[in-house]
Amino acid sequence: MSVIKDISEVAKGMGITFMEMFQPTVVENYPDGPGIFKGAKFQERFRGMHVLQRDENGLEKCVACFLCAAACPSNCIYIEAAENTAEKRVSGAERYAEVYNIDYNRCIFCGYCVEACPTDAITHGHGFEVATFNVGALVYRKEQLLAIKPAQMGDNAVFNKQEMETQRVLPG
Amino acid sequence: MPDVNITVDGKKVTAPAGTLLIEACKTVGIEVPAFCYYPGLSLQGACRMCLVKVEKMPKLQTACTTVISEGMAVTTDHEEIHQARKSMVELLLGNHPLDCPVCDAGGECELQDMTFSYGASESKYTEAKNHKEEQQWSPVVFFDRPRCILCYRCVRVCDEAMDVAALGIQNRGSGSVIAPNMGDHLDCEECGMCIDICPVGALTSGAYRYKTRPWEMNHVATACTHCGDGCKTTLGVRRSETGMEIVRGDNRDKSGPNGDFLCVKGRYAFDFANRTDRLTQPLVRRNGKLVPVTWDEALTYVGQKLAEIRSQSGGASMGVIGSNRTTNEENYLLQKFARVVLQTNNIDHQRTADFAAFAAALAGRPDATASAREVFDAPAILLIGNDPTEQHPLLAYQIRNNVRLHKARLYVVNSESVKLRRQATLFSQIPSGSEAAFAAFLAGGDVANGANRDEWNALRDQLRKETGLVIAFGSELRGASIASLNKFALSVQGAKLICLADYANSRGAADMGVYPDLLPGYVPLIQGSKFKAEWGTLPDAAGLTLPGMVDAAKSCKLKALLVVGANPVFRMKLDPATFANSFLVVQDLFLSETAAVADVVLPAASAYEKSGTFTNTYGDVQLVKQAGEITGTKSDFEIIVRIAERMGYDVAKLVPFGSGSRADMGQSRGAQSGEADRHAVWLEAQGLELKMNPFDPTAVFDEIQRLVPGYQVSRLNLMAGNDQHTRLDQNGGGAVGDPALIQPANDGLFSSGSTGRYSKTLNTVMENRNRVEMPKVAAD
Amino acid sequence: MTFSPEFEQRFTEMLTHYPSKRSVLVPTLLYAQDEVGYLSDEAITEIAQRLQLTELDVRNVISYYSMLTTKPRGKYNVQVCTNIACILRGADDLWEHCQKKFGLRHKQTTPDGQFSIEEVECIGACSWAPAMQVNYDFHENLTKDKFDTILDGYKKKA
Repeated sequence: MSVIKDISEVAKGMGITFMEMFQPTVVENYPDGPGIFKGAKFQERFRGMHVLQRDENGLEKCVACFLCAAACPSNCIYIEAAENTAEKRVSGAERYAEVYNIDYNRCIFCGYCVEACPTDAITHGHGFEVATFNVGALVYRKEQLLAIKPAQMGDNAVFNKQEMETQRVLPG
Repeated sequence: MPDVNITVDGKKVTAPAGTLLIEACKTVGIEVPAFCYYPGLSLQGACRMCLVKVEKMPKLQTACTTVISEGMAVTTDHEEIHQARKSMVELLLGNHPLDCPVCDAGGECELQDMTFSYGASESKYTEAKNHKEEQQWSPVVFFDRPRCILCYRCVRVCDEAMDVAALGIQNRGSGSVIAPNMGDHLDCEECGMCIDICPVGALTSGAYRYKTRPWEMNHVATACTHCGDGCKTTLGVRRSETGMEIVRGDNRDKSGPNGDFLCVKGRYAFDFANRTDRLTQPLVRRNGKLVPVTWDEALTYVGQKLAEIRSQSGGASMGVIGSNRTTNEENYLLQKFARVVLQTNNIDHQRTADFAAFAAALAGRPDATASAREVFDAPAILLIGNDPTEQHPLLAYQIRNNVRLHKARLYVVNSESVKLRRQATLFSQIPSGSEAAFAAFLAGGDVANGANRDEWNALRDQLRKETGLVIAFGSELRGASIASLNKFALSVQGAKLICLADYANSRGAADMGVYPDLLPGYVPLIQGSKFKAEWGTLPDAAGLTLPGMVDAAKSCKLKALLVVGANPVFRMKLDPATFANSFLVVQDLFLSETAAVADVVLPAASAYEKSGTFTNTYGDVQLVKQAGEITGTKSDFEIIVRIAERMGYDVAKLVPFGSGSRADMGQSRGAQSGEADRHAVWLEAQGLELKMNPFDPTAVFDEIQRLVPGYQVSRLNLMAGNDQHTRLDQNGGGAVGDPALIQPANDGLFSSGSTGRYSKTLNTVMENRNRVEMPKVAAD
Repeated sequence: MTFSPEFEQRFTEMLTHYPSKRSVLVPTLLYAQDEVGYLSDEAITEIAQRLQLTELDVRNVISYYSMLTTKPRGKYNVQVCTNIACILRGADDLWEHCQKKFGLRHKQTTPDGQFSIEEVECIGACSWAPAMQVNYDFHENLTKDKFDTILDGYKKKA
């Protein structure tokens, strides 16, 4: 009896193995996969590299309130504030961040900055390929963190705003 | 006053009759929230935050306007009160914009705190808020109307504490709005008290706007470097490309003799330190042009050259001009350097008051000087000469508020109709230049011209009846006049004197012996055995005074001149070629008129960028702490030590470092390491801390405390940031300089010698100098 | 600026009524307004000087009281009360009618400078509501017709 029992136990175990053979693979084919993420898959709420968002007018949402820097447990955010002028308007409010650095040597991707942000300016993106041979390159400047401008305002946009508007008034 | 017993939340409170309920609660640690209540200002009862329940009273009462009475039973913690506070905050937030992330007050806003502690989490109001554009009222004052919660603190502080009354309230009820006196802009003293006192971000400072946030700065409490009043200012500093940048000045912690008061200079004129044209590299004249060199090159050159001149022509051919704004330690070191290293007594500074005569007159009465704090409590004040509103803003503030709050009697004797006459019990306008005659009259003389005879007699009789009279006098009184004034002071019970000088450390320079004929503590050269015992041989003959040195330079007798933080070419209106035949070394912040003709210019750190002590014109010594930092500069202290070293002098003899003992009792390690700091403070206070390097000013302060009479103040209190009143003790009272050497700078509110010239803020508010003539009597 | 001898006489007399000068401010402002028609900058400066107050102080008081004005008003200032008693007796219709009749809104003045209209709080004539006040004269128990007749009377005088 014990032999039969043993065989059945082995069959049971092997059954799982054979069954898995016909299941789709769970290994992610990163970095040889398709698409811009090269096969990497993300949960929607994955906390990757930060993105500094813009509002619908293309102005920066960040008003340099320093709350992210205050909330940061690893003290990796450095900001210098400046005042918007009529000639140079960068953000929607009176103040903007002239310098906004995140030191990814120190960042622990905890998301406290995103939670602290009163204007939803800083968000987590999905970027995660930060590895580098140079520590200096891990200090990201505002220019590297900023979201691209809305299509109609971008530097390399196909349409500029005026064209968009003329198109809109055309019949049809 | 008899004491009154009340009960607050079951706790028994005893306070003098007449105490306000809100203050009585404070004494037992019960906080009653309030916006409009501010200690020292009139009562308003506008914000309704301080509502409390008083037994047998039908409705909630405002604690800030209720005076306690016997047997009162008060509740501050009750559902009804919570509800009332919640509603008040909700109403205030009804039209208050929620732009805290951008607002300058964010992080130190009383409305934020109150909402957090007492407010509701939601609002019933869904209506759109009524927005009004921000207004600029002056170069330094901005007003954001929707943020205003109408507590009227600014209006009251401007009217009552400052006696400027530049702010008013227009319209009424919820439509009330704070209005500036000139319709759309302000014409005032630009002191910024309104900004400081604003509980929200309605009034913001033009100098600090949108630059940073309160918690992002480091706060350094130090003494202001402008006038002689020695207000304490708390500087907010942040990192910058050149080191540390000062972005804000205020005194919110109300420490120091000035409480929360600061004038335009203390609050905004720190910006000279941040200027981009500050000297950051030593300059040496080569082929007629000043070229930048390294510190090593410059110092070696200066050291060699000075040593050469000393050995060739002797110490008497060299001169040193000291400063009114370097620290006590630097002044002390400088005169020691001159006497011991250069072997000359040719050392002087620009004298703005006759402290030498003051010290001589007060000989044997070490406690006859009044501190800045005493002016606020004195029962009576006599002011002769000077215009404190312009020249000594803190003195004016103390006098004004003493009169207002304590009903002190103020007697003003002046040749101008100064603004303080509005607070005066008696104002006597005397002909210009007759201050000395008045002092002689007070001492018992008679009036030369009969015009004022009756008035002066009445005034003198009245003054003699006073007790605890504080007599403040300007630089109009010098030499023998100060002695006469002292003679009069002896006839008034408990009278104390104040000698008013112009700059931050004018008194310090005088106390530290930056005089050709006086050693530190006003000790005449011939009585300097104590100093000789420590320093070795000193030149015996009195040296040249400042004009004497200029004359010597003109006649080519002055071979070398070291100028530290002074600008004689500009101040004395000299021909720039005066020093053409002297080896001129200048230590300064900027390329001043004197520096421009120098052979070597050494970039010095400003008083906000070094540590040490200042003595204000009253004789209160205060700690100066390093706030800002400009890469490339060195403190005058370090420069002097390094020059001495390059001259081949043993610096350990100049700066007594290496003394003291250190006992590490384990507090610097392990779980108790927090104790280490306190331990170090104790050691320092006991003078036991080991001074490890020759650039440590505290090593010189040890020597000052040992050798300079009157400076034996509590080291512990001093280090805790408190002002300590020095005594004019055991001074020789012998040699007194020529009163003609006193050259007051007569700086007003918007100027401050050379540093003021480089302050952008001070220069932008200059337009507002034409003051509207105020009525003679202050509204009570 | 100079005021009439009557004003000066009143002013000098009023000064003796109060312990401090500033107490005379409100009556002085009222008399000055009656005389000039409004409180001009000149008048404000003059009064501030006389009472040793700052101009700002004077302006604070003027802006507090709705019956004091710094802008010129019409020769006849029609003040229609719309407080509780009057409104119960149809003052809101009357006010509407008044606005339509002149083609003006609250605190506006006709181009010829003859009439200005104003909606005011209780004028103390509740027993005869609805009521209005033209300068210092009261007109009570108003109806639209009565209102028209009264104003026509003023128009003829104008």
